[in-house]
Amino acid sequence: MDFSFSEEQAVLRETIIRFALKEINPLVEGDHFAREAWAKCGEMQLMGLPFSEEHGGCGVDFLSTALGIYALGYACRDAGLVHAVVTQILCGLQIRQFGTEEQKKKYLPDLCSGRRIFAQAITEAGSGSDALAMRTQARWEGGAFLLNGSKMFISNGPLADVVIVFAVTNPEARTLGGISCLIVEKEFPGFERCRAMEKMGLKSLQNGELVFEDTPVPAENLLGREGQGAIIFNESMEWERSLLPASHLGTLERIFETCARHARERNAFGQPIGKFQSVAHKIAEMKMNLELGKLILFKSASMKEQKKRAPLEASIGKLFISESLKKACLDAVQIHGGYGYMCEYGIERDLRDSIASTIYSGTSEVQKNIIARLIGL
Amino acid sequence: MAFRDVIRSFIVSDLMGGGAGEPPKDSDLLIEEGIIDSFGIMALLGFLEEKFAIHISGDELLPENFASIESISSLVDRKTELRTEA
Ligand SMILES: Cc1cc2nc3c(=O)[nH]c(=O)nc-3n(C[C@H](O)[C@H](O)[C@H](O)COP(=O)(O)OP(=O)(O)OC[C@H]3O[C@@H](n4cnc5c(N)ncnc54)[C@H](O)[C@@H]3O)c2cc1C
Repeated sequence: MDFSFSEEQAVLRETIIRFALKEINPLVEGDHFAREAWAKCGEMQLMGLPFSEEHGGCGVDFLSTALGIYALGYACRDAGLVHAVVTQILCGLQIRQFGTEEQKKKYLPDLCSGRRIFAQAITEAGSGSDALAMRTQARWEGGAFLLNGSKMFISNGPLADVVIVFAVTNPEARTLGGISCLIVEKEFPGFERCRAMEKMGLKSLQNGELVFEDTPVPAENLLGREGQGAIIFNESMEWERSLLPASHLGTLERIFETCARHARERNAFGQPIGKFQSVAHKIAEMKMNLELGKLILFKSASMKEQKKRAPLEASIGKLFISESLKKACLDAVQIHGGYGYMCEYGIERDLRDSIASTIYSGTSEVQKNIIARLIGL
Repeated sequence: MAFRDVIRSFIVSDLMGGGAGEPPKDSDLLIEEGIIDSFGIMALLGFLEEKFAIHISGDELLPENFASIESISSLVDRKTELRTEA
């Protein structure tokens, strides 16, 4: 077991950190989706990291992709943009694993370059944690799937050119065999992208409702086989629960460094505040969670790279890292005192951004349920 | 133990909560009867891959391959045969 990065991985990390600091951060002022920054991420091939050169990507292995996203989460000030980039990669991974050769040729090059924006739509107004209780239906009629229903909170949704939509194709078969995945393009009739919803954090990430009214989806846009949707969902959650936490871990590292620096430099009662045990313990806990988070994250990413199944590791990692991040962000505000609470120092923004990490991609409670099921309880 | 008995014993112990009910028969429809749900399939896949040292890939991840103990064990049969041929 070797815990060090290869030379290529170290270079990748350094390159992405430099890129984010120099090229991205100056473009991500304010709360809006920074198109120019997105385009730069595309040029830099960040969305194409794990995909083959043949499909417009850079052919990096999955562990290195996770390391790349970790570096981006560390250096990029705009967590919403990082989330948008990861969403794009996750859509590509589904197409790579379950798509036909035609689908890969048609969609992956634009996905890698960022020319088209992708989203994945599972959640509905009435079903989130219980995702497979979805009601959006796709009925085979007149040579196409007719899609009806709506999806909620979809990341990249209001801007999406292409959406991977999960829908019920066989109501009798219910969850496991009754759900399929369809690739919907924004030009398809009856497809409406609603305006972005206001959120507590991750302001630049565009989340919204998608509505489908008799939207015809041709057979060649079925992703995987009919009835394979629940299985695609499970598979893609393993990727998702490795990549999103990779970005959170990067943020956790940045917060730890910021707090450690502040605790050394800020004085009270004649000494640096880091000398007070109650402050030092908070920062020690951040460091501990950072190191433990790395172990579980790199384990699950390595297992995925070796084409092994890692639902347990991915759920443990997602739960541990997101909860650690949220705790660290709250502690960071406290450690920074009044400065932590003021918007201009950016500490409170990390806290607002971090809250959603324990909700999307399966809430913390759902992760515990999954872990319990996977250990046979 | 034959494949199907190993699979049955995992289903009873891990997916049916420890064996209070009747063990499923070879042809019982596991998905339709709700014995294998979306969580259960993750656990089952992990078990099959580890126990029989096989990899079940995208094309084989179809609900019909997991419909009954019979279909699961014939998938394992096919996969282990392929491995011995290779
Ligand atoms: C920023 C953001 C981005 C998102 N992006 C996407 C996206 O791109 N695509 C997409 O499809 N969805 C997306 N979502 C939706 C997200 O996946 C859901 O919000 C999430 O799964 C929770 O579902 P819900 O909101 O319906 O909450 P509910 O399922 O209603 O849960 C409410 C509460 O009940 C708890 N609960 C529910 N069931 C159980 C249980 N069995 N045991 C214990 N507790 C339980 C939950 O943990 C939670 O605390 C996004 C959400 C956010 C906030």
